[in-house]
Amino acid sequence: MNRDESRNELGVLRIHKNVISSISSIAAAEIEGVKRVGRDLKSGLLELVGKKFSSAIKVDISKHEEVKVQIPLIIKYGYNIPEIANRVQENVRLALEKMSNLSIKEINVNVQGIERGEE
Amino acid sequence: MKFFTVLGIVFYAVMIMLIGLTLIVFALNLLVPADINNLLILTQSSHNSRVAIGLSGVLLILISFSFAQVILGKFQREKTIAFATSSGQVTISLSAVEDLIRRLAGIIPEVKELRPNVVANKKGIIVQMRVVLRSEANIPELTSRLQDITKSKIQEVLGVDEQIIIRIHVAKIAHDEKDGRRKKDFEKEDRSTIPFSGYGRV
Repeated sequence: MNRDESRNELGVLRIHKNVISSISSIAAAEIEGVKRVGRDLKSGLLELVGKKFSSAIKVDISKHEEVKVQIPLIIKYGYNIPEIANRVQENVRLALEKMSNLSIKEINVNVQGIERGEE
Repeated sequence: MKFFTVLGIVFYAVMIMLIGLTLIVFALNLLVPADINNLLILTQSSHNSRVAIGLSGVLLILISFSFAQVILGKFQREKTIAFATSSGQVTISLSAVEDLIRRLAGIIPEVKELRPNVVANKKGIIVQMRVVLRSEANIPELTSRLQDITKSKIQEVLGVDEQIIIRIHVAKIAHDEKDGRRKKDFEKEDRSTIPFSGYGRV
């Protein structure tokens, strides 16, 4: 299934996976200590060919309309990773529930790296 | 071990054994090249056998591909430190831990270069570091300090209770260029302050 679907008396409301991915990405980036959302091979290749804002966040929607989100993250140096991951999970959950009324099953955070560069 | 992994391992074992047997049979001269040629001509002559061979080829490629994915996926899974929270799972890539350790080189001025390699297994988190030190460094004191700092930083940032083993390999003791330059400049200044030092030279 590519999108979440809900029906009312006027018709059908579909929320695309990309929407869930975008909400998650913005909510994750709001947390202090998060440098940016990480990349995977697919998003890296898409960026190479010029497609901007391709997110590496994976969204799975089950038959029971339960959403599972996987967020790759790059954390800033000096922050406590479990604390940041917990805050990201909470913020993403709140944002998704507030904006889409979806039932969130799991928000998995994958810390891919620590910010590099000058101190 | 999963059923598919077992199936893949058995499949590869059988294939390698078959290749080995064929080679042995060929070496013992039990199989004549003409027999192989006849067999190939026979299979190519029938349409059904060609279809069967083609499908077997596709199946073999698919099996190899999925088996490779299983193995690679397993390797990828092992390269993370994972823990669960109320909202889901958190996985920390070992390369993230390596990035973190690499930043420590900036904190300790005696360390010129630092290359970490992090492995997580049943024993705990094993950090192997290859360091290049500056010439004035006291190695036992410095390595001990580096071990302490690395250990406390990993515990502080990752919040893990697992055992952390830190192995340091001092690969090189580098000559500090800054010091060398400073000495040269000082010598130059010294020479220039000697009065009438330029006289009497042709």
